[in-house]
Amino acid sequence: MNKNTLVDVKNLSVHFPVHGGVFSKRVATVKAVDGINFSIDRKQIVGMVGESGCGKTTVGRAMINILRHVAPDVEIGGSIEYHFGDEVVDFAKLSSSEVRKYRSRVQMIFQDPYASLNPRMTVAQIISEPLQLHTNMTNKEQTERVGWLLDKVGLQPEQARRYPHEFSGGQRQRVGIARALATNPDLIICDEPVSALDVSIQAQVINLMMDLQDEFDVSYLFIAHDLSVVEHISDKIAVMYLGDMAEYGNAQDVYHQPRHPYSKALLSAVPLPDPSRKDRKRIVLEGDVPTPLNKPSGCAFRTRCPIAQPSCAESKPEFKEQAKDHFVACPLVE
Amino acid sequence: MSEQQEISLSILKKRWLKFKTLKRGYYSFVLLAILYVLSWFLPLLVNNRALVLSYEGEMYFPVISGYYAGSEFEQDVPGEAIYRELQAAWESEGSDNWIIMPVYPYSPYEDITVAGNKMYDPPSNTHWLGTDNTGRDVFARLCYAFNISISFALVLTVLNYFIGVLIGGSMGYFGGKFDLFFQRIIEIWSSLPMLFVIIIISSIIRPSFFLLIFIYTIVNWIGMTYLMRAEFYREKSKDYVAAALSMGQTNFKVMFKHILPNAMVPIITFFPFAVVGGISALVSLDYLGFGMPPPTPSWGQMLDVGLQNITKAWMVFAPISALFSTLIMVVFIGEAVREAFDPKVYSRLR
Repeated sequence: MNKNTLVDVKNLSVHFPVHGGVFSKRVATVKAVDGINFSIDRKQIVGMVGESGCGKTTVGRAMINILRHVAPDVEIGGSIEYHFGDEVVDFAKLSSSEVRKYRSRVQMIFQDPYASLNPRMTVAQIISEPLQLHTNMTNKEQTERVGWLLDKVGLQPEQARRYPHEFSGGQRQRVGIARALATNPDLIICDEPVSALDVSIQAQVINLMMDLQDEFDVSYLFIAHDLSVVEHISDKIAVMYLGDMAEYGNAQDVYHQPRHPYSKALLSAVPLPDPSRKDRKRIVLEGDVPTPLNKPSGCAFRTRCPIAQPSCAESKPEFKEQAKDHFVACPLVE
Repeated sequence: MSEQQEISLSILKKRWLKFKTLKRGYYSFVLLAILYVLSWFLPLLVNNRALVLSYEGEMYFPVISGYYAGSEFEQDVPGEAIYRELQAAWESEGSDNWIIMPVYPYSPYEDITVAGNKMYDPPSNTHWLGTDNTGRDVFARLCYAFNISISFALVLTVLNYFIGVLIGGSMGYFGGKFDLFFQRIIEIWSSLPMLFVIIIISSIIRPSFFLLIFIYTIVNWIGMTYLMRAEFYREKSKDYVAAALSMGQTNFKVMFKHILPNAMVPIITFFPFAVVGGISALVSLDYLGFGMPPPTPSWGQMLDVGLQNITKAWMVFAPISALFSTLIMVVFIGEAVREAFDPKVYSRLR
């Protein structure tokens, strides 16, 4: 924790109650996120990886406080402290009306560029909506800003009058990026922004996002399941498994010297376009990911872990700083 | 630049263009729209009061200013002046006084028996569709009833949809206890036998245009809530709603600026059929005698009187064919709207 910290996530947990039976009693809890800690500095890109269903997206949505919209009974524990200037705001505690005035500081880029743009609005209307909400710009200023933003993301300002269905997937994602940048936010949560795109377009969009990060001095929380993408873009990498954070550290450390057995297995699955490294050992995990409805006791990963010990079932492993800035949730590899 | 604008049509505009290519529905729509607009000017077109009257150098406008006693124009009749006879008299005298009458100089309320016994007059040049049991002109009544029927159906449908969208949309959008509560209310409400409720209410209170709309709205708003609830429920989980919320849009704006335009399909496609339902509802209530109070012109009442005098064919034929052609035109519109909203192309309906 230093004065450059933008957001400090402490012990964040997101639980969805499951109701069943005649009287809709609470029968179980989906522990989508179960006590994670990390922080994002200003102008930093944090990559977050993990299998599908491990809670990456839930973390992202918790951080912009829109979980209650779809699941009103969600239980959010811990804190998500944003440092906006001198103000410290905890998004985990605020109600959706209290959080409204900070909305311009944290924005989101969505995974599916086809669903995240309202099909009944033109691009100009889509991008100028945050401007209407958070600035006092006149219509003319808004139009200028929209044109400028479109130019920044590599579209023509004349395309502002078009509807989303007239664009390709990559172009739509650029519109989504322009919308997120419109209010000069401090943090943009990118929820798998490129996984719905062609590989050739992915590279363009990622390079665009990196350029824009430099220009707008914004931080990214870059959620993805593609490790090579994350390694390319991130300053820090967080590896998640079943609602827990397995490893968190500088990108180079995590990518090249992973410590947690899950990170090792995950990284060994990254395809390398290098035939000379054909002999690389591939760690294949046994079995399936357990359900977050009924997580294993102790370490959640122990059911599939190649180095599991009987002691792993006893208590949840401590998320410990094993090397400088390198947190690992596994005492066996210390 | 202009070429680009041509490409960038909203989905609704595209559908409107497609609707225009479906000739049967489009022409029905145009014809009905023209007739309905005209029907608002019926007092100027079908009326027994003169449009303009010049009597001894002074101008009168009875259509606008209303009642003038016959004695004012030296006409020897009790009560209001009979302008048709005045016109005929002045013309035969060749006097300086003149009258401009509406195109069809009979009123739906006018009892023509006063001017000679004209009950059950068959269709003729003066009375295009004959007269009815009390000597009122059938064509005049038919025209005024058209305006009342369509207005009733339109106001009823718009009101129903407004309430249905508001409640159904909120149910889908907010979900949870609100949804549960209203769903139960709707279930109870919709299980009441509504026709009897309406008959009981209108046999106690003397019904009027707005009271009937009110009663029917209480019954009919439920239909739209089901559809809107489902639409809002589906749309609210889409990412564009999350995007709108994450930029700080209020729930109200999200519901009506973002979701509603994407949930318009059932509203627009059901609208013509709801209008058909509204027209038939008023006709059946009037037919049963629980609708508009007499002497309001209405197709249902005309049908009722016609059936009592089944040998006078024009009295049955007129309201039935008017009802039939109006309903079938609205159905053609509905069919074309449905077709215009269909992403697949069928050639059968063109």
